[in-house]
Amino acid sequence: MSTTTESARKSMPSALTFERHAKCSTTKARASTLHLPHGSVQLPIFMPVATQASLKGLTYEQLRQTGCMLCLNNTYHLGLKPGQEVLDAVGGAHKLQGWDRNLLTDSGGFQMVSLLELATVTEEGVRFLSPHDGSPMLLTPEHSISLQNSIGSDIIMQLDDVIATTSPDHARIKEAMERSVRWLDRCIEAHQYPERQNLFCIIQGGLDLELRKQCCAEMVARDTPGIAIGGLSGGEAKEEFCKVVDTCTGLLPEDKPRYVMGVGYPEDIIVAVALGADMFDCVWPTRTARFGQAIVSSGTLNIRHKEFAQDFGPIDKDCTCACCRPTEQGGLGITRAYMYHVAAKETVGAHLLTIHNVHFLLSLMNAVHQAIREDRYPDFVRQFFSNQYGGDKSKYPEWAVGALRGVGLDLLAD
Amino acid sequence: MDPEALSPMVTFALSPAAPILAPRVGSLAIAGRKPLTTPHYLPLSSRGTMPHISHDVLRDHTALNSVYVGLEDFVEKKHKSPVYNTPTTSSQESPLKKFISMPQDMPLFLGPRRFPPIPCPPANTDTSIAVLTTNGFGQLSAHEYLDAVQQLRPDVAIGFSDIVLNKPPGVKRRGKMVDRTHAFTRDALERLYNREDKSSAAYFAPVLPLENTQQSLYLDDLASEFRENISGLALYESASLQYIPEPLGDLPRLLFSEPSSPHEVLRGISLGSDLLTIPFIVWASDSGIAMEFVFPAPSAGQAGPLPMGLDLWSSDYTIDTFPLFEGCECFTCRNHHRAYIHHLLTAKEMTAWVLLQLHNHTVMDAFFAGVRDSIQRGSFEEDVATFNRVYAQSLPERTGEGPRVRGHHLPAAQQNQPRRMPRMYGRLDDAAQKFAESRSSSVVTPDTDAEGLERHGFAEKV
Repeated sequence: MSTTTESARKSMPSALTFERHAKCSTTKARASTLHLPHGSVQLPIFMPVATQASLKGLTYEQLRQTGCMLCLNNTYHLGLKPGQEVLDAVGGAHKLQGWDRNLLTDSGGFQMVSLLELATVTEEGVRFLSPHDGSPMLLTPEHSISLQNSIGSDIIMQLDDVIATTSPDHARIKEAMERSVRWLDRCIEAHQYPERQNLFCIIQGGLDLELRKQCCAEMVARDTPGIAIGGLSGGEAKEEFCKVVDTCTGLLPEDKPRYVMGVGYPEDIIVAVALGADMFDCVWPTRTARFGQAIVSSGTLNIRHKEFAQDFGPIDKDCTCACCRPTEQGGLGITRAYMYHVAAKETVGAHLLTIHNVHFLLSLMNAVHQAIREDRYPDFVRQFFSNQYGGDKSKYPEWAVGALRGVGLDLLAD
Repeated sequence: MDPEALSPMVTFALSPAAPILAPRVGSLAIAGRKPLTTPHYLPLSSRGTMPHISHDVLRDHTALNSVYVGLEDFVEKKHKSPVYNTPTTSSQESPLKKFISMPQDMPLFLGPRRFPPIPCPPANTDTSIAVLTTNGFGQLSAHEYLDAVQQLRPDVAIGFSDIVLNKPPGVKRRGKMVDRTHAFTRDALERLYNREDKSSAAYFAPVLPLENTQQSLYLDDLASEFRENISGLALYESASLQYIPEPLGDLPRLLFSEPSSPHEVLRGISLGSDLLTIPFIVWASDSGIAMEFVFPAPSAGQAGPLPMGLDLWSSDYTIDTFPLFEGCECFTCRNHHRAYIHHLLTAKEMTAWVLLQLHNHTVMDAFFAGVRDSIQRGSFEEDVATFNRVYAQSLPERTGEGPRVRGHHLPAAQQNQPRRMPRMYGRLDDAAQKFAESRSSSVVTPDTDAEGLERHGFAEKV
């Protein structure tokens, strides 16, 4: 059912410029700046997820103060609430939520398949039952792009055929990859505002490196402003994840941003950056904050554990977020003991930990950027793992050691 | 002992010296703290936080100038609360303020119970009152409370009182209330001010929500023997304002009230309250209601009374890009519009309550500023009459869902009460029903094998 041919393909203007600053002399890590319609962002970047046009209890001023320049909205959620009509009437998602920096939206396909029972994918699109009234519905690449055009996000994603990476059905994985390429053509065709919204393609192909290579070749030829590696973070082994990222980045052009979707654990990000990826998003840092988990340089702390009840230190002593900074430095001087007192009991507890976790990841990414520019990323990675595992190399995860060795960085060397 | 902490350095100046039962403007100054101009509302905290308002937002976008904390939010049954171990840099610093990360120059009012208090099934005793601790109901003794006042160094301590919640007390019980409260007050003043380690906290003595005649002995003592050590009065119903003895007339009066509308707030002010609690501010924010009223009211001329708030759950605001309230200068009105708040409410996003809190507190700040001006101009009575005429008699009804309610926000569950919150997870309902059905038949076996149960999510095979 492939309808588009090379000649019929629409040319793809770009609403971004990708400025490369430095490349790590050992690993494949890159430091760059992405100039987008609502301001410039440093890469590598972590993008917090404001699913329904709000970052879980934070005001956009608070989000700005964490240093965030680019956050996500979910097309599926905004399509249900407030819906396309409202988005059009209000003038897009920036105006809806009062956010003057960049937005990225996914295509809605992932939520469709992961949240909904009975979603089936056909060549036309994704068929599913409305979660509100149970009536049958269909989401096509054209719908998704039209919705994202109404949202007005600075980066929009193609609708792809998402299946679980762990699926054993090879024929289905191949079909999904090929279909994603065909759908990309339909997305390019349907995209109304390429001069102000950047459409990213999504590389599919499961864990099959051969399929991934084919997909890269097909999609790179379509010359989208940026490229995402999709279908990961679905419970596959970390070794497999790294192989896919490594294989894809090896085939992608140097002059385009690469986005690995759904990755948010600091460890995974640090490794994926070494494998040549630039952009990441995940709900984990904000979700885990609401459950009382604080991200710190040694891992995560369950702040609801009674060991913190009498701990009058900041959440993380090196963190410079509004919560952790002492009052003398204009911060709030929030202590672990206080977080223990309010976590999961008052909404403010969730707000404070969310500020901390988002700030922590964003400043980690700043440090990553800086380290790559100064060509000391390998040392940075060594220090990071040493902090995470208290200096005990025997605890380092094998997958990370293996993946980093593949790009010339030996974590276990002295 | 630090000599500077020897006396409660609190002054209360009334600008027109007002008779009892008349509205009045005053200034409550506590050494080292920002002065409070009255009448004003007293912001109510929950576990030491202003509901939905994180500390940076409070600092940057509210004019909240004081805070009320209930000690019961910091009582734990088995251990002493960590708040007592908060490290402080000087003996002047309040460990409690530091613990909850409130600025040291913000006046902190400490009382035994949160407000509004949740009625507790255990009864008060001669030496303690029933409270809702972090881990269930318990007793807070008068001694523990006084220790807390000494150690946590609030600026104002609300006196211990024996009050019966939920039902009107009988004749005998009322007598007991007065006797106990009388004794609590005597002990507290003795303990706090007649010892070497004199407390730096100002003491607001309770006036019971009873008839004048029932507590006259107690009130007489307040006006004579206790007078020099009390810095204010805590009242629990506006009717008590008329029983305040003449010699206590120049003390600040804190009315722990639960007004249902701004009109009732005005009534409390007109009877001479200086500080009032207003739980409906948080109620409105939780309910998705943006308050919109000003005092003095705009001159009439409209058909019918003006509503006092917008119910933003209403689909009328789906694409309404106006600010919540025309002319409002709050953070929310400057940065957002009705359509966004409506979206956040229907999407159950916490930010909705944050933004509404900022707006509603700003409306209340302006309301009280208007009240103070009006009193000083001498036009208060007239302005109240206009306000009552121009605005609807009550805030809009709550139509939407609020935030998840926690145990410390709600009365204790009674027997045979319906569920407080709808069930969130229905995955097991199907299996549970099948299980119940199988129980009612003679053979207690599920009608499916283990794999079937696994499919139902009833259990997993290991």
